[in-house]
Amino acid sequence: MQPILRRSLYAIALLAGLVWIFASADKTNSATAGHIPAPQKGFLAPEFKLDTFDGQTVALTDYRGTAVLVNLWATWCPPCRAEMPTLEKVYEEYKDQGLVVLGVDATNQDNPDAIAPFEKQYHITFPILLDTNGEASTLYELRSLPTSFFVGRDGVIREVVVGGPMSEALLRTNIEEIIK
Amino acid sequence: MNGLSFFQNVFAPPRDLILIVLAAWLGLTLSERRATRHRVNLDSLSNILLVGVSGFILGGRILYALENLASFAQSPSSIFSINTSLFDPWGGLAIAALSALAYGQHIHLPFWKSLDALTPFFAALAIGIACSHLAAGTAFGKETNVPWAIDQWGALRHPTQIYEIIASLLILALILIQKPNPTAGYEFLLFVALTSASRLLIEGLRGDSTLILGGLRAAQITAWFILFATFIGWEYKIRQEHREE
Repeated sequence: MQPILRRSLYAIALLAGLVWIFASADKTNSATAGHIPAPQKGFLAPEFKLDTFDGQTVALTDYRGTAVLVNLWATWCPPCRAEMPTLEKVYEEYKDQGLVVLGVDATNQDNPDAIAPFEKQYHITFPILLDTNGEASTLYELRSLPTSFFVGRDGVIREVVVGGPMSEALLRTNIEEIIK
Repeated sequence: MNGLSFFQNVFAPPRDLILIVLAAWLGLTLSERRATRHRVNLDSLSNILLVGVSGFILGGRILYALENLASFAQSPSSIFSINTSLFDPWGGLAIAALSALAYGQHIHLPFWKSLDALTPFFAALAIGIACSHLAAGTAFGKETNVPWAIDQWGALRHPTQIYEIIASLLILALILIQKPNPTAGYEFLLFVALTSASRLLIEGLRGDSTLILGGLRAAQITAWFILFATFIGWEYKIRQEHREE
């Protein structure tokens, strides 16, 4: 290829690139999805309302303005069991700084009779919510257990961790981000 | 359940990483076949990849731990955790490049010819990464009404992950059909130019871009500069060749 033709092609490609950069710029910041509820990083955490063992109803919106860790789990799931002591440990450590942990049991695929003994065995002090109809599991598109959603004070999901057990450092790093 | 949902269920995170591993394996096979064309020793090529991959894994984890030292100081054993989230991919990539470069120099591997031989590996890896984006629903598109939009994260969106897969498949095909070129580095620079051009184009349709300077997309600007650098690199190589002749 002739040098002049080759350099003209470079110039055309670079110029077209620049035009596209400015044409596709997102001046209204509409590309960020913070206003749509979806179980994905950057989106608003989908709203749910679930019951606890003692009949209280807990809604995610009750905690708007608070950093929330939503952990979906089941008693039969080995990584869920493995991460529970660490989850309880960091909850105890960070609750005074405004962290709330919501342990959502996927009750629709769990043995309901096993939940209370599990709670006792692992000395869990954070609220355990019962997803009896699978409402939260569906809303959060649960595909693997455990799955954790780190929700900031503005209600936006900052991190999603699929699978486990989560290590202490992973929990601390993400909690530090959401309690800011 | 449609084909896309089935795919996303089968390869839901963390299983999406299987797609990257499969692509890396395919890429390695293709690169090994190309090694003889570029007169690069097959064992040396495998070794440099091993060094690069090890550098990526170890470097990504160590850099992440250093960036979050306070968290790791309280639970040092977390450095050995199986959580893939405890990872700095860009840091890992930098360490991989540096360690592969150092090893390549140590065993006197020809720099540009080795990059040419490794190009099918990089191109196949790009396909795997695009497939993993589709499986995980990350790198998603902005809202649109085009007839081929997909329903994702509460809106109809550009299927940017599918654009990414098509672009990377085309790039791999283009690399594979290239006739031998006497200029060392030609295939690698072609791959870099095409990849940055496709990123520049597709990023403009993404819904999760990092925005800077009043709405410009950071990844597009980076891709533009890489494209610019590739053109300069290409011109430099041509001039060097003329001088040698």
